[in-house]
Amino acid sequence: MAVVNVIINGQKVQAQSGQTVLQAAKAAGIDIPTLCHHPALKPESICRMCVVEVERQRVLQPACTFPVAEGMVIHTESEKVVAARKMVLHLLFSQRLHYCMYCTESGSADDAECELQRLAYRYGLDSWKLAPNTLKRWPVDASHAYFIMDHNRCIMCRRCVRACNEIVANHTLSISGRGARTMIIADDDVPFGESSCVSCGTCLQVCPTGALIDRRSAYMGHGAAMERTKTTCMACAVGCGIKAVTRSNILHRVEGDWDAANGGLLCVDGRFEAVEARSQRVTLPLLRQNGSLVETTWDEALAVVANRMRAAKTVAGLVSPRTTTESLTSFKRFFSDVLKSKQLALFGAAVPPLDIGAFASLKELPLSDCVVIVGGNPLYEQKVLAYLTRRAVDHGASLIIVNNSPTDLDRQARLTLRFDELVQVQSVVEAAERPVVLYAPGLSADVYTMLRAWPSKVHFMPLVKGTNAVAAARLNLLSKPVHGEVLYVLAADDLPQGQELPKASFTIVQAAYHSQWTEQADVVLPAQVWTEKNGHIVNVEDRELPVVACTQPPAGVPADDVAFGILTIEMGKPQPAEASMTVTR
Amino acid sequence: MAAKIKIASDWLAGCAGCHMSFLDIDERIVNLIEKADLTATPITDLKHPSPEGVDVGILEGAVNNSTTEHVARQMRERSRILIALGDCAVFGGIVTMRNFVHTDDALRRAYIETESTVNGRIPRHEDLAVMQNARAIDQVVPVDIYIPGCPPSADAIYYVLSELLAGRMPVLQGKFLDWH
Repeated sequence: MAVVNVIINGQKVQAQSGQTVLQAAKAAGIDIPTLCHHPALKPESICRMCVVEVERQRVLQPACTFPVAEGMVIHTESEKVVAARKMVLHLLFSQRLHYCMYCTESGSADDAECELQRLAYRYGLDSWKLAPNTLKRWPVDASHAYFIMDHNRCIMCRRCVRACNEIVANHTLSISGRGARTMIIADDDVPFGESSCVSCGTCLQVCPTGALIDRRSAYMGHGAAMERTKTTCMACAVGCGIKAVTRSNILHRVEGDWDAANGGLLCVDGRFEAVEARSQRVTLPLLRQNGSLVETTWDEALAVVANRMRAAKTVAGLVSPRTTTESLTSFKRFFSDVLKSKQLALFGAAVPPLDIGAFASLKELPLSDCVVIVGGNPLYEQKVLAYLTRRAVDHGASLIIVNNSPTDLDRQARLTLRFDELVQVQSVVEAAERPVVLYAPGLSADVYTMLRAWPSKVHFMPLVKGTNAVAAARLNLLSKPVHGEVLYVLAADDLPQGQELPKASFTIVQAAYHSQWTEQADVVLPAQVWTEKNGHIVNVEDRELPVVACTQPPAGVPADDVAFGILTIEMGKPQPAEASMTVTR
Repeated sequence: MAAKIKIASDWLAGCAGCHMSFLDIDERIVNLIEKADLTATPITDLKHPSPEGVDVGILEGAVNNSTTEHVARQMRERSRILIALGDCAVFGGIVTMRNFVHTDDALRRAYIETESTVNGRIPRHEDLAVMQNARAIDQVVPVDIYIPGCPPSADAIYYVLSELLAGRMPVLQGKFLDWH
């Protein structure tokens, strides 16, 4: 790429040809304020906040879209520029009803708070030159389960519209009307809650003002009081990078991590459902006495468990994939090495063969020119993968769906085939440059055999069900029926979705939440929820991702694998070095 | 000794928080009253600025009915320099929340439906002020100096007054402007 020499504020800057003034300035450490611009979205120069003076140009130019050229002389904070930016701010404030005092986004300490207000402070606005019309009110759309659209606070930057189109490829949001009557609308101007919205919440995350606000975290604390923890979503096996927003040990909100492979994109499960407590918490060990569960101590509970295990001929173990690789490893070691049991399995998960070919990455999926989905229904089960697929389709990729039943992505597909027609796809992927195949578990062996024979340029992504099921599969923990006199279930923060536990004469359930599983247990041990865990998970890219605790567990609830270390001692066997932690009581 | 600068203040539809913040200048008030007279203010409990006029008039709160509009107009007429103190005075503030509901709904909520009210009734009398849409003071009369904030910091208030007493027109920037 050719180097272009420009002068910004008297400073010689070497830019790349094709860069915008904003990009060149940013690379040189010169800050130009923006409002409608967002790094994850295509620039559209809507708001005019970023105008700069370019010598020999008749009028001020928007830095976000104006390309640099050789010898260009640019002034980013000249008197003329500052006056124009102040005017832009006065116009923005006058258009609708921006009363900061009762807006949850008010406050300038935090990046997530109001960008409009921050710019007003930066340019010294102490009042409004142009008073808003106090007789006019814009609608507040509170029809959506997870967020509110307050049109009074909208500045028409269209970030939400662009995010819905460019990032999520859902095309729910758009614009209606012209001039002062311009409105953000969902679908054909229906209430947000009744629209085709998939509740991914990306629009909330890009909104620079208080127009789109999260129902749950609104007014729950000043941005400066909120802590952000970079971690990994544990809602499914996609393993999206997130920032958990907490205050006083409470998870208030989940934001997508722009720097992670998912590029800020999340789904309803990761962003909204993950914040909700899933059921009533188990905080103390429980022991069944005379038919009902009674609170007890860890010492007593584990002594009972150890006695039962010692006496039993076989002990079966079931583990949920909603736990860390570290806990899965401890589980495996305890059952294989200490109990010498072969009756151990993963439950609530499904993993297809992982040796089909090279793994595809989340980053390459939206850039693929040919996406093949063999089985499964990602829009239902691995939602972010479906959004990334639709993004690829928007960029011109052909989508081929191979399935005997209809899927939610059929409408976007160029071709829908049955499994016995899979052979037709081979020539298509061979002709493609960057083919990606998403393949489901539970298909016939012939299908996997055929996929294995495809050329090496084809990259594969397993449509794994269960958060850390890939790591479990690597540990040879598979979904299969188990039998034992005593049954130990590490449910973590999983909840039964129709799965019945196998019958056993004595059942131990280690769970974060009360459920029908704990109801049928003889001993219940507390477990941590996803926000309390530290460790790793392995996602559908076969990548190990960090899980970082963002809240503290209730007193006496140790990491999921601590019980195994203590049980190992109780069973009179040497304790493995890794499990030397003690239980806090 | 030169005549002291005369300061008057009053509040409209406000919560008195800005006047509290004014009092938070603490002992610096001694510096102020060396050069200025605090005439009619809610702090001195003297009503109405003198008909001869004052040098600096300070108003807290939004204009929201015929009475507050009258108070604002009187303060404007009698002040050489008028200061809008706090977000309600500068922008309309919290008071503007009422604009989003019908007047009758607001009255019913306030006088009948509030949880602590028993047998409430909406006061109606010809002598009572007539409700208006809540708005900033400069939507009614011209304002010379704005001190935004909910409330503005005592430092910002002291800065503005001491600049005026030194014969300069204050310009609020940085921490004086961003009160969060």
